[in-house]
Amino acid sequence: MFFLSLIEHTLRLPPHLLDLPLNEAIKGELESLFLDKVIANLGLCISVYDIRSIDGGFVFPGDGASTYTVEFRLVMFRPFVGEIITAKLKESDANGLQLSLGFFDDIYIPVHLMPNPCHCEPDPENKSQVIWIWDYQEQKFPIDGLDEIRFQVQSVSYPPIPVEQPKESKPFAPMVIMGSLDYDGLGPVSWW
Amino acid sequence: MKIKKANAGALTNFEVLDFLRSRGAAKDPTRVIAPIAASEFKVYDYLVESAACNQTRESINELLEKCKKYDLAKAEILNIINIRPASPVEIDPIIEESEKRMGEGIEDLIEMVTTVLPPPPTQMNTEEEVVAGDEEIADGEQTATAMATEN
Repeated sequence: MFFLSLIEHTLRLPPHLLDLPLNEAIKGELESLFLDKVIANLGLCISVYDIRSIDGGFVFPGDGASTYTVEFRLVMFRPFVGEIITAKLKESDANGLQLSLGFFDDIYIPVHLMPNPCHCEPDPENKSQVIWIWDYQEQKFPIDGLDEIRFQVQSVSYPPIPVEQPKESKPFAPMVIMGSLDYDGLGPVSWW
Repeated sequence: MKIKKANAGALTNFEVLDFLRSRGAAKDPTRVIAPIAASEFKVYDYLVESAACNQTRESINELLEKCKKYDLAKAEILNIINIRPASPVEIDPIIEESEKRMGEGIEDLIEMVTTVLPPPPTQMNTEEEVVAGDEEIADGEQTATAMATEN
């Protein structure tokens, strides 16, 4: 689920940080730049693991801040295809399920990757949501929000940033994980 | 920004949890004093409820040693450490073609995983009902030593 990535970045350190020790100031700047942001094809940055080297410290003419070239490692969240992850149910509608990990919400299980065969029924409690039920050997197994759901990662995609978005649509998701429940041992933990 | 190495090494859930704990995530109930961002706390919350919360470096090293004879791929071992499967049906999505490659070795593998890695808090309640007598005491001792080494 988590990887380390080695990144080199040229960083401008604002003058108001000059009183802090260099390591702390650079770590703080890197965290505000990268933490909780998605880097294309690398994943979601969770935290700064360590700083390998700090170079430079030049002050460019006309600027009050010094510029450093820093090499550091980031802990990235990037599940690989085929990984099994346990997540909680966030929403379920006619297109499939949406699962959430707490720190990452854009996990979708589309209808064709649900255990076969299954059907959906309107949820009696909450009118906008549906409950998915798996029909296996004449027994019904509902997917309710009570326990955690295990899914297998099918693909991780990074859609390009849209130029314009209609006002009512969901906020743009820079990283989307497609999962599958269609295998033995996957689905809510209580099923197995 | 230059990406020097996109993949400088995989981390198990336990290693990330250990890293966050070493920066003080566990000791701070107010979540303001520790030098950890709110988004990192969300990751910490998720990991603490998963199977990684009771693991130790020694138990993972032991598991790696014992897994060598099963000839598993690195991704499969990573999945096993992160999920801690307790039955053959849970191993099925993790190991490809498990019946062809291992046959009866699956039972041995599961027994080894359940003895070497301590169960996560949610599994512990159901396991205590099933497991009887001596094994229950052994599990309790193992989790006690794991918590002691972490503190």
